[in-house]
Amino acid sequence: MQGIIVELVNVSKKYGRRQLFVTINRQICPGECIAVTGSNGSGKSTLLKVIAGLIRPSSGTVKVHHNGHEVVADKRMPCFGLISPELIFYNAMTGYENLHFLVRARGVGLSDEQLMHCLESVGLTGRQHELLSTYSTGMRQRLKFALLVALRPPIWLLDEPSSNLDEEGKKLVKRLVDDALAQQATVIIATNDPEEANYAGQKIALV
Amino acid sequence: MQDKKLPWYSVVWAIVRKDALCELRSKYAFSALTMFALITLASISMSLAGATISSALAAALFWIILFFCAMAGLSRVFVQEQEAGTLFTLRLYANGQAVYWGKTLFNSLLLIALTVLVIPLFVILLNFTIPLWLELSVLLVLGDIGIATVSTLTALMVCRTGGKGALFTVITFPLLLPQFLMVIASTTRVFDGILPEVQDFVFMAGYDMTVLIATSILFDYLWYD
Repeated sequence: MQGIIVELVNVSKKYGRRQLFVTINRQICPGECIAVTGSNGSGKSTLLKVIAGLIRPSSGTVKVHHNGHEVVADKRMPCFGLISPELIFYNAMTGYENLHFLVRARGVGLSDEQLMHCLESVGLTGRQHELLSTYSTGMRQRLKFALLVALRPPIWLLDEPSSNLDEEGKKLVKRLVDDALAQQATVIIATNDPEEANYAGQKIALV
Repeated sequence: MQDKKLPWYSVVWAIVRKDALCELRSKYAFSALTMFALITLASISMSLAGATISSALAAALFWIILFFCAMAGLSRVFVQEQEAGTLFTLRLYANGQAVYWGKTLFNSLLLIALTVLVIPLFVILLNFTIPLWLELSVLLVLGDIGIATVSTLTALMVCRTGGKGALFTVITFPLLLPQFLMVIASTTRVFDGILPEVQDFVFMAGYDMTVLIATSILFDYLWYD
């Protein structure tokens, strides 16, 4: 399911008296990349979670359209792929087992060869059968991208996507984002890194 | 990349398989359940010092052991996910209903495995004879499914409220009480060599079906909110 439009309509979020962001109105079309920037605590990650439907906005709505029809809230989850520091895999399982499980948990059946190809595309070949507890933080980050490559969701929500990655890893992120955009995915990046922000054509700056 | 959509039962099985794999490697829940069962059985056996106990007392003791074993280990299906930080990942990538049925199935299998381990020890340590094995097996399976189903829902409730263990037992017990009383009464009859009434089995199966459906509906509210 590609070609998804994400529309933010007067989206605001506050925790208690603390207002994170107010009345964000934006439409993000397929093949577009938008960066959400702002200082620590400004609500970048929260905005991604609001878009993913994991947190309710205090006011306003997030609409997701596919082929001119609105996708109802409880059918949206398969549209999203989120990479976030909060996304934690199972330490008692290998990298391959984690990928195999999460892909199947989404209801997608991929062959061993396809899964191995995903791991290979993020540079994890040779380490796939080691327990996740032996993985470095950079390798875990690569595994998160392997999951996105395997699922190919129409909306990529990337929270600090290059964190813990080396130079080669950062190039990998850029390449994967470009590939996703070429396949008409909608990409939203929350970042403080100017280099990552430059992947995007538009910006939402949070104060 | 050519991918196919998996049927619903495959997704449920993926959850069961993942939990079983993590449990086989950590052995946390099964160890907790088994150790609790062994210690309780040994304590009761030593306290009785070879004295004969009535069928009603034996049935009550047996189900109390199983209930508290369940309380010691079954909440791990969600509490462990929360402690490890993987609950967020599961919420993001797995369908709520698949998680519910997968976790309930895993808890049921875990409790049935424990029951298979406990029942021979119960017979040996308490010097007890069971005349109606088939009927007892049906009772055990129905009782275990009831405990596992309610425990799975309450495990998610305590996990989301941050209350952990103490709250888990407090919430689970009243919900299980109707099944608990019926299964103890029926087990007493089986221990006495009397066939339970058909209505007893129907009640227990009906209770299991009702809680399975009700908790399945309630689960989504807890999972997504």
